[in-house]
Amino acid sequence: MYLAELLDRTGLDVLDHLEREVTVPVIDGLQAQGDLIVIPLDMVPTINPWWGTERYVPRGGVELVRGEAGNNPHTLVADPWTCKYTTNAQDPLVLGIAAFANTAPVYLIHPEHGGTGVAPGTWLVRRQQERRQGAHLGRRLRGNTVLVAD
Amino acid sequence: MSAARRRKSRLADKPLPSVEFWWRAVDIRDEWSAHALSCEPADRETTQTTITSLYALAGAPPPQFVWVDSPSAAADQVPPSDPLRHNGSWPLESRIATRVSALRERLDRRIGRYRPVEVPNPSRAVAGDQPAKSILDPCVRGALRRSIRESVADMIRAADSRPSGLRWLGQHDVDWIAHYDMHQRVLETRFADEDLAELELWATLARSCGWWWPREDRCFVAERPLVLRTDPETRLHCADGPAVIYPDGWKVHAWHGTLVPAWVTGTPTADMITAERNVEVRRCAIEKIGWPAFIDQAGSTLLGQAPDPGNPGCELRLYALPATRTRLLLATNGSLERDGTRRQYGLHVPDRFDNPVDAAGWTYGLTGAQYAQLRRRT
Repeated sequence: MYLAELLDRTGLDVLDHLEREVTVPVIDGLQAQGDLIVIPLDMVPTINPWWGTERYVPRGGVELVRGEAGNNPHTLVADPWTCKYTTNAQDPLVLGIAAFANTAPVYLIHPEHGGTGVAPGTWLVRRQQERRQGAHLGRRLRGNTVLVAD
Repeated sequence: MSAARRRKSRLADKPLPSVEFWWRAVDIRDEWSAHALSCEPADRETTQTTITSLYALAGAPPPQFVWVDSPSAAADQVPPSDPLRHNGSWPLESRIATRVSALRERLDRRIGRYRPVEVPNPSRAVAGDQPAKSILDPCVRGALRRSIRESVADMIRAADSRPSGLRWLGQHDVDWIAHYDMHQRVLETRFADEDLAELELWATLARSCGWWWPREDRCFVAERPLVLRTDPETRLHCADGPAVIYPDGWKVHAWHGTLVPAWVTGTPTADMITAERNVEVRRCAIEKIGWPAFIDQAGSTLLGQAPDPGNPGCELRLYALPATRTRLLLATNGSLERDGTRRQYGLHVPDRFDNPVDAAGWTYGLTGAQYAQLRRRT
């Protein structure tokens, strides 16, 4: 699928300097989009997301990281009834923000990073952390660690 | 149904009827934001008439007006507030504070209880079943509080830390004023006429002057700044000079909403940066010159470099930072900036890592061996 087509279907947008007439690759494996990483769930066997509150990704997609305080949203989009997700990742590191299981390719869209496809599978989505520097702005996770704001 | 219940706006308690209402609220927010960022000379006549009315509401005769050219100049001149007296009458500024707090309480009662709900965009605003007042509160009052009150006014206050007692912010008091204005103009909330008249006095001051310090017989009022620069998120910011200049030459320097000394927005050197005790100031100064220049000048030792997995042609580099317990992982964005370059960014990682791929893995809670399997980075 082309990025332009993907944007058309979702009603989302990316910055206009990103090339739209390129195919968005569908990756079957570990991949990162800015401060977000998509991990095959079987790579992190100690993590058991709680699927009790799972939902299908709605037509307009679901924002995995909300666009707040100057950050841009990462939106997960899927064809209807092909992707279930839960935001209860049960990640002891508190980096996990969602897990999803898809039966067809799904796409992650970000205004600055463009789009990327995720092959069918079961995935954990994590945010990125860094060492806290003094009165660093940013949400404190544990001890001296903060989330990276992308 | 009680009379109080009937007076409440029906619009405010139901979900937003259309995105049009969201955009009207945004217009009102921007209107007040523009007053807050205004660098026009104060409208002295209107200011004095309005403050005199507020004195009258507090049962005081018109004061003598003393105009000052900056909040810092006011700190030189405003006498310390009297201690609160419980046996006599309260100081004038306390009476004004009581009055405005009672006004806001009465206005809030007409609006009724609700919980603010932040939504990212207008289509989301009309999609849910939250009442309109819950949705529009963060869009107007929340946004102005974060930008004008916390990023602009709080920085100006922090730039001169001398206490100057109770004062109001004139043009920078817009967050709560815009909130009630939006309720009245967008959600058709009906307020009592006398409350609206009193609110209009505060709104007039927000359109007319800088900060003000009412005291028993004299009222000190500051001019608006000559220059007030912000970044696109309305955080106080200027990369190569003062972000705020008042008519008396008093300046405030800020980097994306962080108060910094003047040297940061000049030409910081690695020596100046490492000699700075405040880490936030250090971070801002490094951002000003860029990570590569800082690493170059600071004599940071390169501990290791490796191809960035999933980011062809780019490298991860790990540096020891002198005099810190962290190391610096320098990485390159997976996607292009508008100018066609790729932005480099530095992430602080624990000092136990010697291998950049291990350090990069840690930032996502993975081992280096796992991170090495990264297929693509966008």
